[in-house]
Parts: sequence; structure tokens; C-alpha cells
Amino acid sequence: MTTVALPDYRQQSPEVAARFQRIRERPVILQVRDLEKAYGAGPSRHVVFDHVTLDIHRREFITVIGPSGCGKSTFVRIVAGLDEATSGQILLDNHPVSEPGPDRGMVFQGYTLFPWLTVKRNVMFGLEMRGRARSTAETEARQWIDMVGLAKFENSYPHELSGGMKQRVAIARALANEPRILLMDEPFGALDAQTRWKMQKYLLQIWKKVDVTILFITHDLDEAIFLSDRILVLGTNPGGVREIIENPVPRPRTLEQFLSPEFLALKARLDHLIHGDEPPDEEDKLPLGRMTTAGDDAE
Amino acid sequence: MAEPAAAAAAPTRRRVWLKPFSDQSVPGQALFVWLSFLLPLVVWAAVSYVPFLWHPLVKIQDPASVSYFRPDTLVERSVFRAENAKLAAAGKPLATGTPANPVFLPAPHEVAQAFHKSFTTPPRRKGEKWLHESLWQSIQVIFWGFTISSLIGVPLGILCGTFQPIAKLTEPFVDFTRYMPAPAFGALAVAVLGIYDPPKIAIIFLGTFFQQVLVIANTTRKLDPALIEAAQTLGARRPQLLFRVIVPGCAFDLYNDMRILLGWAWTYLIVAEYIGASSGITFFINQQAKYRIYDNVFAAIIIIGILGFTTDRFLAWLGVHLFPWKRRRSSAPAT
Ligand SMILES: Nc1ncnc2c1ncn2[C@@H]1O[C@H](COP(=O)(O)OP(=O)(O)OP(=O)(O)O)[C@@H](O)[C@H]1O
Ligand SMILES: [Mg+2]
Repeated sequence: MTTVALPDYRQQSPEVAARFQRIRERPVILQVRDLEKAYGAGPSRHVVFDHVTLDIHRREFITVIGPSGCGKSTFVRIVAGLDEATSGQILLDNHPVSEPGPDRGMVFQGYTLFPWLTVKRNVMFGLEMRGRARSTAETEARQWIDMVGLAKFENSYPHELSGGMKQRVAIARALANEPRILLMDEPFGALDAQTRWKMQKYLLQIWKKVDVTILFITHDLDEAIFLSDRILVLGTNPGGVREIIENPVPRPRTLEQFLSPEFLALKARLDHLIHGDEPPDEEDKLPLGRMTTAGDDAE
Repeated sequence: MAEPAAAAAAPTRRRVWLKPFSDQSVPGQALFVWLSFLLPLVVWAAVSYVPFLWHPLVKIQDPASVSYFRPDTLVERSVFRAENAKLAAAGKPLATGTPANPVFLPAPHEVAQAFHKSFTTPPRRKGEKWLHESLWQSIQVIFWGFTISSLIGVPLGILCGTFQPIAKLTEPFVDFTRYMPAPAFGALAVAVLGIYDPPKIAIIFLGTFFQQVLVIANTTRKLDPALIEAAQTLGARRPQLLFRVIVPGCAFDLYNDMRILLGWAWTYLIVAEYIGASSGITFFINQQAKYRIYDNVFAAIIIIGILGFTTDRFLAWLGVHLFPWKRRRSSAPAT
């Protein structure tokens, strides 16, 4: 990676800089104010993260990345209202959030479609919860199902769908509520590489068509860069924000960009932020004796 | 699309019969279901019809000159041999008889006849009930006991499973009471409710209810909490969580719990019917045993089995239609 001189990951082309300027001028949808989460009390108190502060603008696509256990899920669950912060505040359109609500849609890593409802009824669920009449809910649900390309499966049950299809339904189900922000906690984590790549492209298409802000958790560097406007990097020991990076890779995003200098520069930076402070290669050199008598070609 | 050549080259997969936890069907599996009934029947028939298997008694045909032998009565084989030995020593004609099983083990065809007879011949004494009347009475007792228990136990169980404080308030006492055997309340039930059906219904209720609350609460707790969180992020409030997520989410497992609990209710029936004025199928069985008509006894016991089994099969069949989302996946389509 060091054979080619990479540009500074903070260096933005004029178009990208202009785009960030436009984003900053949009209203702030979600404010995270000095958020702290800790477990336990006294000497056993474990601070997952503290001093997390972030403003998310309308229709911005933020990805959150960090090593396992740094509190990514905890963070997004607090935004969703499923967990409570120990201190600090989350403001959605300037109103503090304290409990889950339909204005913050969520897509989970595990499959959380209701197995007893068909695809259509799953997508209608939120609409019905909010008192929408059955027939209007049905019409609206159909549109969302169409948008994620599953019209043929509207009467199927979740167990009849593949993992990728389930997550598309989950996205449609969350979007049908027209949330202010869509929270996604490693939604493609359980999918194989190819499906995952397809889903990333789908998601960008959907995001283009819908007025929604996205907060997307991942631990995949490529995924974080491919999707995001800005990247929030969390760390462990001590937990908290390492850096908030403006992604210099221009939109629209394509597969070719994965080898572009901006992409590689950003990836190198993320890699350093996430893995840089680990002792080098400790786990790579396992103290294993030789356990095979086969040829040496494995070495 | 597998190419024919590739398909031909693929090694034929060997079917393993005893594969742990496999739900893959083995050829001839339907046969197993029949065999599970056929095998006991074959054993029963063998013991009944093959003369040298068991048959510890002799059915007298010609008593000859043995004073206490009567035609068509049963005597121990050893006694029969001893008497014949005496007759032989005295040079008298020998008694004759055929090997027989005790009366309490009637042969399959006798039970089959009794099956028919018990529905077609009137009871011995006036005022006694026909088999179907006895059965009907038992079914009513079960029905009411189980229904009353379920009407309270199921909602209470679901509430216990859902809300921690309700569980704390209810479960310790329920757990405590469930260790008191329901029949122990028999005398009390009779004192309070009289001698006819009400105390019997009460025993079924006591036997079912406390188990039911705990079983239903535990099943409710097994619901994936992620589903509840998902529903919350979709805007569901507390009553909606209960009625639109928790209840439908557990419904299939609760349904299966109820099938098992209904089986338990049947086992309490026999005890319940002894209490107060003996009644129902238990009374019928006892009465027939008193008259030593054991083929009727078997017929009655088998009818209980058939009734329970067909009810359960019916409920299983109904379950498949009530819960279409539980049907086995065929194969997942591509993304
Ligand atoms: N109930 C709990 N009690 C104590 N500590 C907890 C609890 N739940 C989470 N934690 C801690 O919080 C930290 C963050 O967990 P979290 O699941 O948010 O991490 P994550 O970044 O999402 O990890 P991953 O990438 O593996 O999903 C972990 O170190 C974990 O030990
Ligand atoms: Mg996580």
C-alpha cells in the first residue's frame, strides 16, 4: 500500500467540497450531545464511550465504524431509544428522544421480520400501528415493496425468502413509516460478499429516491467508504470518537472507485485508526507446533 | 440447473437412517407410523393365539371325574396336570382342556367384538350407563375443567411472561401450589361442590391450571426480544406489543403447549372420576372389571386412547392450517 504515494485523505476535489458545503447548509436532523454510556458502577464501571458529539444533516449518509466491542450497536440503540445513555442527549429535530418511535426506523443485523406475517403485512405493520386504515396501508406498503423489487413476493412469508430479500423487506418496512432517520446496525453483516455488494448498491439507489437520512453501522471498511458522506470512527481503550471524516470519494459511487487514490487513502487511514494501536501481528503468530507431515508448499 | 453429465457423475448420496435431529424423510417413513401400532398388536396377538406362548391356564372342556372342574372354567396348568396324573394313576379317563390366558388378557378379536358389543348391548343393570354415555360424561368433565383453566391460565401466563412484576406477584404462589397433588384436594372439592360433576371439574382445573400458567409464561418468555424491539421502532405501543407481537409471536408454541396440557388433563380425569359419586368412563371400567368382563375394560381403555390420539392428530392438522408460516420452507429463492 505504500508503494504508490497516496493523497491526503482529507484532500477534497472542488465538487466534493461543494457537496459538503451544501450538506452543511441543510437543517440538522439529529444532534448527539456529549453522549456517554457506561456499564456497572464503582471500580467495576466500564465506560463504553464518552464525549460523543455529532450533528447529522438532512439526507446525509453517515457510517459508523470501529473495532468489535467499541459500542457501535450501543450507540445506535441509544439513538433508537432502545437503550439509555448514562449522560448526554440525543435531539431529533430539536426534541430530546427517550423512547423508541416510528420517526427513527431501524434495520437490525439479525432478521427481525415478523415470521407470522406475510411480506406485505410486515411492511404494513408500522402504518397500522400508527392508525392508518387497512386499505391505505396496503396501497402504501405495495409501493414500498415495489421499490425494493419484491412485488412478486408480497404474499410470501419471511421463511420463504433469502437473507438479502429479508433485509430488503426490513428496509421497506422501516421506510414505510417515513422516518426522519434510518438506523442500520450491520444490516448486511450476515450476507455473503456478493449479496452484500448488491445490497449496498440497492441501498444507495433507495436513498437517492427517498428523503431519508441514514446512520449506518458497519465494520467493513469498503462498505463504510462506498456508502457514506461522513464516517464516524469509534475506538476502544479508551472508548470514544477517534475521528469524524468527510469522505473524499465523489458520487455517484462505482465499483471502479475502489481502486481510486482517494478511496485507498481513506481506507489506509481507517485501517490505521482501527487497527493501528493494536500490537502488531500478535495473533498472527500462533504458538503452534507442526501438525502435518505433508509437503512444505503451505509455507 | 445441473448439467446431466455432472448430475450423473455426482455420487449418489447414501441415506442414513439414524441421523440425529434430521427432519429429512427416509423412504418408507409412513410405514413406521403404522408399524408403531402394528408391532404392539402383533405381540398381543402372538401372546393370545400362539398356544405355547404364556397361556398359564387350561380351559376345561371335559371335566371327566374331577369333582371341582366345570366346563368352560379356567384352572392353573399345574393343577390340571396334577389332577390328570391322579386320574391316569387310577386308570380313569382323563380330563380335557385347551391352554388359555387369564381373563384379564382377552384376545384381540374378543376386544374387537366387545368394542362392537359395548355400543350395541344395553348395560347390565337399569340405571347404569352405556359406554358412549359414560364417555360423553367424561368428555364434558374434561372439556369444562380444561376450558375454565385455559380461560384464566392462558391470559395469566402470557401476562406473567410479558411483565416481570406480574410474574413476581404470581409465579411463586403458583409454583408452590403446583406441588400439591390435585387429587389431594378431592375431599375438599366434594365438601364444597357436592358429589357430581363440579368437584371432578375442579380437580381437572387444579391439575391443569398451575402447570399451565408456568408453561405458558415460559413459552412467552422465549419470544425473540428483537421482534419486540423491532415493533417498538415501528411505533408499536404497549397494548399493540402485547396483542400484535407477543400473542401472535407465541401463538404457535402456545398452541402446542395446549396440546400437551390437554393430555395431562386426561390423566387427571381418572382420579377426578373416583371422587364423589364415581362416574364416567372410570365408573364404566370399574363396573365391567367387577363383572369380570375384561374385554369391555380393554375396549374402554382403547377408546380413551383412540379419542386422545385422534384429538391430538386433529389439533396437529388444524395447527398446520392455523399457522401457515410454520410450514417447512421448500428452498430459499436467490436474492
Ligand atoms: N449489558 C451489558 N453489560 C455490560 N457490558 C455490556 C452490556 N452490553 C454491552 N456491553 C459492553 O458494551 C460494549 C459495546 O458493545 P456493542 O455491542 O455496542 O459493541 P459493537 O461495537 O456493536 O460490537 P460488534 O462490532 O461486535 O457488534 C462491549 O464492550 C460490551 O462488553
Ligand atoms: Mg454490534
